[in-house]
Amino acid sequence: MQNEGPLLEELIDRLGETPEDFLADPLIGRTGSVHVVAVVGDLLRQLGETPRLGELSRFTSSHPQQDRNRLSVVLLLCWLLSADWFHRTKLSKDQLLQTLETTSDELSNQVASKKFIADPDRREELVRTTLARLGYRPAGETIAQAQDRLSTLSSAERARVMKAAQIAEERARQIREALARKAAEESADKWTRE
Amino acid sequence: MRPEIISDQDRYPTLTAEGQQMLRFLREHPHAPIFRNESGNRLTTDDLEQVRKFEKELELSESGWLENEVPSWIEEFVEQCLTAVPFYRRYGSPPNALQELPTISRGDLSRDIAKFVPDSAPIDRLINFRTSGTTGHPLLLASHPIVAANYLALHKRALRRFGIELRHGRGQVGVVLVGFQKKCFTYVSVTPTMNESGLVKINLYPTDWRDINDRAKYLDSLATEIYTGDPIAFAELAKLPLLSKPRALLSTSMMLAPSMREHLEERFGCPVLDLYSMNEAGPIAVADPAVGGHALLQPQMYVEILDEDGRTVSTGERGEIVLTGGFNFCLPLLRYRTGDYASLRFNGREVVLNGLEGRPPVRFKTMSGEQLNNIEVTHSLQRFAIPQFTLHQDSSSNLLFRFQGSTQQERDVRRVLLELFGSGQQLTIERVESFEGKVVQYTTEMVEAP
Repeated sequence: MQNEGPLLEELIDRLGETPEDFLADPLIGRTGSVHVVAVVGDLLRQLGETPRLGELSRFTSSHPQQDRNRLSVVLLLCWLLSADWFHRTKLSKDQLLQTLETTSDELSNQVASKKFIADPDRREELVRTTLARLGYRPAGETIAQAQDRLSTLSSAERARVMKAAQIAEERARQIREALARKAAEESADKWTRE
Repeated sequence: MRPEIISDQDRYPTLTAEGQQMLRFLREHPHAPIFRNESGNRLTTDDLEQVRKFEKELELSESGWLENEVPSWIEEFVEQCLTAVPFYRRYGSPPNALQELPTISRGDLSRDIAKFVPDSAPIDRLINFRTSGTTGHPLLLASHPIVAANYLALHKRALRRFGIELRHGRGQVGVVLVGFQKKCFTYVSVTPTMNESGLVKINLYPTDWRDINDRAKYLDSLATEIYTGDPIAFAELAKLPLLSKPRALLSTSMMLAPSMREHLEERFGCPVLDLYSMNEAGPIAVADPAVGGHALLQPQMYVEILDEDGRTVSTGERGEIVLTGGFNFCLPLLRYRTGDYASLRFNGREVVLNGLEGRPPVRFKTMSGEQLNNIEVTHSLQRFAIPQFTLHQDSSSNLLFRFQGSTQQERDVRRVLLELFGSGQQLTIERVESFEGKVVQYTTEMVEAP
């Protein structure tokens, strides 16, 4: 966050205008339609870089159950990073790839991709996290202000996610126990058994 | 853990004096079999209201959709799944089209069923159903007494296609579930929505009876309106000198060969319905010669047919049956690959599964010359954590057991299989890295005596 970056509002507004193509499902195996590797490749070329195929392998997957949300977030990041400000700012290929990878990993574990469009706090979090990973902060903010705001946004969300995960794990444990109990073993009447 | 004590009040919460009398009749009949287990409907008064509501709604609703159309309820269903079901939640946001979502398989369910139970499902009322795992993944599935009871409304819908309205009621027996296995869950119960008519689940295997001749005597005393079971159990039932006539037979669990169906219809003088049904989804479709295939039964069950790569095939092309929806609110299915194959045909809004290939029954031969149902093998091996296996018997009766997974249990598996098939059985056990393509779990080259 050492460097001052673009106006926060401009990037937040940009996310709000994400085109349908970037909201479509990533192509994973036979599901989805958007070739994420191609989108990342286009982004890098737009920003003056020449990506090698091997460098993009992290944006492919054959596991839609695990990676659908992550790659959906990558698409949102590609749209965000193709804003004019990033064209004007000389970012290295490594920086961009690293940011796409770590930010999508981090955020997709917590939130469904389209919430980064629909929910104002999550929109702001996505923008601030991306800038921070690239070493920038929003224009007009001090480092302390930017750190404080990002930490407020992400820690609140992280706390919510942690709490939800704890509840879900506890519930899953109770379900496993309930199903293992004799009452469940005894089952209930069905006219046919499969 | 202290063993849980379950009372008749838990098993039959709304039981009346007449219901009690029916249970006594079924249990204490002089020719009754040895009942090995206890179970019940577990339906409370509130549950019964829900069950009746489901039946009424089902009577008024149509199942199906038009060709190239996706039913309107799908969008909301997908959104609910992605919001309220832990496993689906990680998919992220709802897609523009159902086909954009990943598919799931039996393996996903078997890894951790708890992740498929929606946040809203009441844990204290959960029941489970185990499946024998013809595709190699034994399953423990979450369900609810209301879901189990709702099967009947779907059976009635299937029977109605054949002009049959159930008539039985108080003081009569509605259904006998027959099995023919060495080991089988057996019990008596009543069906509250049919005025506590009797329900009995029996095993025709001789060791479950004090006298083998009791089988026909008991069943004649019951004079049930419906028999349900699999083709192997029906084959045994057909051998009994029964005088009573059921109004229909409902066949599930295994493929019912047309010749077997004709034989049973002739023997019992009633329609024999071939239901396509599975624990994961309940009764899905019924074979109806009038439409030349299996007609779908559930209004909220969408069927896709996919090729090996997960692509939707053209109408009329064969592929794997993939389910979305269902009435088990403890286990909503989102693009569930069944491992069964068919093509789709449309008669207006009516959707027909054409050329359904389910799970064909396989009978192995033991060293003593007895026939052994493949379910026996599955039951015996379900205690082992084997992800997938196949068993083949060649024409010289030698067995080849192939499995994927750790070799640690190999010795125990060998012991169990030899116990089942008898000493002197030739058995080769092979570990494989993985099975390619669709696994046909049980196969035999032994020719059955006519």
